[in-house]
Amino acid sequence: MTAIIPNVMAMKGEFVQATWETIYMTLMSAIISAVLGLLVGVLLVITQPGGILEDKLTYSVVDKLVNLLRSIPFIILLAVISPLTKFLIGTTVGTTASLVPLIFGIFPFYARQVQNALLDVDHGVIEAAESMGSSPTEIIFRIYLREGLADIIRVSIVTIISLIGLTTMAGAIGSGGLGDVAINIGYARFENDITFTAMIIILVLVFAVQLIGDWIVRRVEHN
Amino acid sequence: MSEAAKNVIELNNISVTFHNNDQTLDAVKNVNLQIQKGDIYGIIGYSGAGKSTLVRVINLLQQPTAGTVTVNNQEIQQLKPVELRQARKKVSMIFQHFNLMKSRTVQGNVEYPLLGTKISKGERQAKAQKLLKLVGLSEYADTYPSQLSGGQKQRVAIARALASDPEILISDEATSALDPKTTKSILELLKQLNRDLHLTIVLITHEMQVIKSICHNVAVMDAGEIIERGPVAKVFTDPQQKLTNDFVETSTNVKEAIERITSTIEISDFKDNQELMYFNFIGNSTKQSVISEFSQKYGVDVNILFANIDQIDGENVGYMIAIITGDLNVFNGAIQKLRSDGVKTRILTDALLEGGEDQ
Repeated sequence: MTAIIPNVMAMKGEFVQATWETIYMTLMSAIISAVLGLLVGVLLVITQPGGILEDKLTYSVVDKLVNLLRSIPFIILLAVISPLTKFLIGTTVGTTASLVPLIFGIFPFYARQVQNALLDVDHGVIEAAESMGSSPTEIIFRIYLREGLADIIRVSIVTIISLIGLTTMAGAIGSGGLGDVAINIGYARFENDITFTAMIIILVLVFAVQLIGDWIVRRVEHN
Repeated sequence: MSEAAKNVIELNNISVTFHNNDQTLDAVKNVNLQIQKGDIYGIIGYSGAGKSTLVRVINLLQQPTAGTVTVNNQEIQQLKPVELRQARKKVSMIFQHFNLMKSRTVQGNVEYPLLGTKISKGERQAKAQKLLKLVGLSEYADTYPSQLSGGQKQRVAIARALASDPEILISDEATSALDPKTTKSILELLKQLNRDLHLTIVLITHEMQVIKSICHNVAVMDAGEIIERGPVAKVFTDPQQKLTNDFVETSTNVKEAIERITSTIEISDFKDNQELMYFNFIGNSTKQSVISEFSQKYGVDVNILFANIDQIDGENVGYMIAIITGDLNVFNGAIQKLRSDGVKTRILTDALLEGGEDQ
């Protein structure tokens, strides 16, 4: 091992820690983004024209806001958002500080994905629920989120995988994790085995997310 | 009970107008409709006639642009949202594409209307099982809708619709996606529910066959208006409107027969003493030997090309197309005699010749 990846073997401890940092950043920002994204995604679906609580103004404001946030390249968002990060966390470096840009970078994307997933719920079923006297809240929880669950999990997998990518970018500018190791150590010191190993670990994380996600989808889907 | 109290549904001057950018569409125009408790009321029309929009006004899934809706002596437009949702539980609906929830089992679907009510979980399950038994699907309680056939799905939808103990069932083209045999069994089930549970059924369809087999009353809709209505036997044995006649002729195969006959027989080759005639026998005249009398008494030959006897709401109705050859002087008298026997006739020869020359 030492012969093939000498630099990695020399800093095993750092690798383990970096992996945990990546997992931490991904999970924490995923959980908060999931809440925000589901809220906004559901809001978009119910307020859109023809939705169960149609509201043109709300829809158009939220819709435009989501588009705006999604248009900002993440590497620029990291810099632009730093005053807010400083205000909220007290610092702009470290894994916890990176959660702010990660959340703003991913939740609008997730909201849009959730919206698309919920739009696939058969309108006839919504109408049937309305005809059975279901309230808007009941329709959201008992129909939209339940009928759309398999698709929501699918888009969640896609989102988490994107999120892992974003954590490496955040890592490169000072938040730690595997991105930090790959760029600031492996790339900067020309220690290619470090960069390569960081990449392999990230790929393993991505495949694990994909496998677990697919397994859950198979469990909840009854098509 | 007064006449008004017997009407479980009353739609007064209902209009529904859709606005799409600068286009307006009058989907329903000034419709009045009264449906009595316990009736099976059919609304027939081609797609786009406004049937679906009209029935959605009954539970306010569609807000009318004008007019009032009274269901169970309750003016439902006056209700608060919570009260409206309560009222909707008494007006169930089944759909052409079943609209079952694919993430819930058959049992879960049937239980759905009872979620969030005071009924306990055990009672809810027991009720769903009772309803599944009623529609003949007890053994499918734990399967998911995707594993069922179309007819079975519609049965689940019917069980679900019954879970809230409705007084009215609206069927929106519920058999249109099913094959004829399944259609028949679903219609039988609806008939049974009407009889046993005194359920008022409002049924929309584009198929005459459906109306004929279960409805007592019918309204014919065209371009947002009801153009003809009344007891099924009357409307379909004595249609006043061309569209109504169209539906009748399509369902009795008369339309097809006329097309087939005119494509195989050259009308212009007819001799002067020959006519192609259409006969329509209703009620008593179906039981008498009208044609053989007609032939013997007036000395005409009757060459039958098409004949069909049908039952509409218990009444026999016969249709016949024949070439009549004979002395045309006695012809008019003969037709007069037929009319007095209750047979309706139409000479097709001239109409078809004119039609032919147009082409």
